[in-house]
Amino acid sequence: MSTAKDSRFGTPEILFGLSVAVLVIVVAVPMLLIFFNAFWVDGHFNVADVVKVLRHPETYKALGNSLVLSVGVTITGTIVGTFFAWLVTRTDLPFKKSMKLLFLVPFMLPAFIGALAWKMLLSPRAGYINRFFMDVLGFDGPIFDIYTYAGIILVETMYLFPFVFIQVSGALERMDPTLEESARISGADLFTITRKITIPLVLPSILSGALLIMLYSMAHFGTVAVLGIETGIYNIPTLIYEKIHQSAGSFDSIRTATVLATVLVITAALILWLQNKVLSKGRYQIIAGKSFRPTELKLRGLRVPLFVFCLLYIGFTIVLPTATIFMVGGLKTYGLPFTAENLTLANYNHILFEWDLTRDAIWNSISLGLSSALVTMFAGVVISYVIVKMKVRGKGILEFLGMLPFSVPGSVIALGVILAWSGKFGVNLYNTVWIILLAYIARYMAFSLKANSAALEQVHDSLVEAARASGATMAQALRDIVIPLVRPGMIAAFFLIFLPALRELTVSVLLYGPTTRTIGVAIYTLNEDGETVYSAALAGIALVIIVLGEVLIKRLVTGKNNS
Amino acid sequence: MRSMKMLSLLTVSLLLGGLSLGASAQQKLFVYTSMKESMIGELKTAFVKKHPEIKLDFQSAGAGKLMAKIAAERESGKILADVLWTSEVPDFYQMKSQNLLMQYVPTEIKSLLNPLPDYDGSFTAVRLGTLGIAYNTRLIKEAPKTWADLQKPMFKGAYGIANPALSGTAYMSVAVLSKTFGWSYFEALRANGAKMGKGSGQVVDDTASGDLLASLAVDYITLDKVDKGATLALVYPPEMLVIPSPIAIIKNSPNAEAAKKFVDFVLSKDGQTIIANEGTLPVRADVKIPERYKLPPVDEAVKRAMKIDYQQIMAEKEATIKKFTDIMQK
Repeated sequence: MSTAKDSRFGTPEILFGLSVAVLVIVVAVPMLLIFFNAFWVDGHFNVADVVKVLRHPETYKALGNSLVLSVGVTITGTIVGTFFAWLVTRTDLPFKKSMKLLFLVPFMLPAFIGALAWKMLLSPRAGYINRFFMDVLGFDGPIFDIYTYAGIILVETMYLFPFVFIQVSGALERMDPTLEESARISGADLFTITRKITIPLVLPSILSGALLIMLYSMAHFGTVAVLGIETGIYNIPTLIYEKIHQSAGSFDSIRTATVLATVLVITAALILWLQNKVLSKGRYQIIAGKSFRPTELKLRGLRVPLFVFCLLYIGFTIVLPTATIFMVGGLKTYGLPFTAENLTLANYNHILFEWDLTRDAIWNSISLGLSSALVTMFAGVVISYVIVKMKVRGKGILEFLGMLPFSVPGSVIALGVILAWSGKFGVNLYNTVWIILLAYIARYMAFSLKANSAALEQVHDSLVEAARASGATMAQALRDIVIPLVRPGMIAAFFLIFLPALRELTVSVLLYGPTTRTIGVAIYTLNEDGETVYSAALAGIALVIIVLGEVLIKRLVTGKNNS
Repeated sequence: MRSMKMLSLLTVSLLLGGLSLGASAQQKLFVYTSMKESMIGELKTAFVKKHPEIKLDFQSAGAGKLMAKIAAERESGKILADVLWTSEVPDFYQMKSQNLLMQYVPTEIKSLLNPLPDYDGSFTAVRLGTLGIAYNTRLIKEAPKTWADLQKPMFKGAYGIANPALSGTAYMSVAVLSKTFGWSYFEALRANGAKMGKGSGQVVDDTASGDLLASLAVDYITLDKVDKGATLALVYPPEMLVIPSPIAIIKNSPNAEAAKKFVDFVLSKDGQTIIANEGTLPVRADVKIPERYKLPPVDEAVKRAMKIDYQQIMAEKEATIKKFTDIMQK
């Protein structure tokens, strides 16, 4: 296995050229085509049409909705995330370690499946919770209507707050406790310490988590599509979906969609710019090292109530919706009460073994997830190697191109690949899985670059130099020295991509063809077609696959580290 | 070693992905249809049993989505569909005028009832879809009798119509109802809080759950759920909505021979029996509709049906959808 052939391959220029080629083809061309199509009509530059689209009430209503929803989710998600982060790091809450893990579970649940479950629980007339209040407790009307802005914000908050939770609990743990201690010794009370020391120190983490929520929510398709469309609440991604799928698909509507996409990109860019500003201002070097364990606040009388509150929160946001999905998935038809004679395993059987559509979807999602994760993992190593280790000019372009899709909403990437790969330039991948694969590679490349660059930065140049000095070729040095050392980064990249790809909806819903539905698309379209029980059953199966995947990965990664 | 393993895994997964696209020993046939799984699934099973040499795939989605798909495919140079079968009749006239459909007169044309004017074999009606009012029997004790009953306070905020941009039957119904009763009919519905839903199946499912009390509903979708135990009933006002669902073969289809066999099959006595058993009206007089569905007989339905001027509604399609959407989202 180790007899590598000695070849010219491996010179920095070739690697660089290859990396650029990959990124240009996968990322740059589709993105450029969006702007090109938005502003270039029939061979000349055209702003009038763009303005026309922008002045359409639909457009600014969608933009307004996107903003209202994402700001709402950002505020509530930040409050929830910060509160729980503080609770599990800075107080004597019982079972803090396990609680911390539990608060990360919502990250595993796709938000649109959550939305589906909450529709079943809280739709005004038929939602199980509302019906319980009306039929059993005799309320006059529903206690909560999920088909509202508040409903959408609530659901998104439940599944997005971990963005803030992770950032803030990390910062609170890393924070040097001596600062707080010295304040306490100088006689400051807890309130003053929190206000003057703790909050300013973690503020950058809170803000960067908050902006992540905002970025995500802004570009989020599933929840709004499931809960908003019927009451006329739509955001930009759902409007793009409508343009692509409903308006007879003429090129005009694709063009309108490119303008909407441009609006979305600009908004996302603004959010990122803000984030950069916040982060560069907030460089508090005081957060460093893990020196001491911070003092814990004694919750005293509140200890048990708060613990119960956390459990209730988790039960309410994770257990209840998940159970609902599985139960509805077992109903003979939607709307029947949950009694033994109405429950059946037939739906699960039909979906797993009989129905081409759902079997295809499961297979497509798994193979797309694996392929995109593998491709981006390897491409990511090479590209990060060029960025981090090589001294070639223009590598800044590489970094920019690679990270670009991170800030670009999924719907925009999907539109870009439609424009690039549906026959206009000699390659027609429309209706095939390849077009989805290309979009996934573009979308997830940034994850791989982040994980791999971080790993590569810790590999000192002298190791490769030593290998080269001892006569190894570049390829050998890479294979025998660099790859083994960055393997953890590569594995991390793999899973960072595989799991999100498995449950992806926003991109594939714009790209799927007759046999290339993904799990997300199948669940969504089944719900749209009124096959609620099948869509719930498939969602249940998807949850099982996701959780199994997650567990398997933890096993693999920790097992690897131990050996 | 490990990376080699991963590399091979990559190759294998890509290969398999490729295989799933490229396996083509049999004749292939792709049907784009707005019929739901319950109907097209049955037909597929029976068809494949009769013609094992043909590999049949279908895409089941709302007519609006299918047309968007076909338009995009035309743009990209290759229409994947061999056969199109929806209820959005104007689309067929449109495609015929654009010379996109192959003429094929089914072998058993003599036994078929033809509701479509200017018949030339470009497309043939497969079923006579009826739409009525589906209501939740758990919550509504007195069945609505007329279209105007839905404007009563009893249905306030709880009557749903599918999105005509998505669903062909919803589009046809909106076009026909607005011609018969005027747009004021929909304005009054909206004033009573009527909602525009998503697909034609989704409004029925929402009625079954009680989220809606009633909806404008397609016959077989509703009756399929009734069979499964849903607390639903389907009623027809005196002026009936009878919408033919035509089938057509796409011109220059490389699988035209298989496509012809499929068209002949769905129009054969066997095919039509499956269709009638799902709870919709067949186009053959020699096929019986199961009693339990209580569907009106074909001749009665045709007599009660509101008249449809296909040429006119084709010309007004975009405007109709826009007008309806504007009213419902006000």
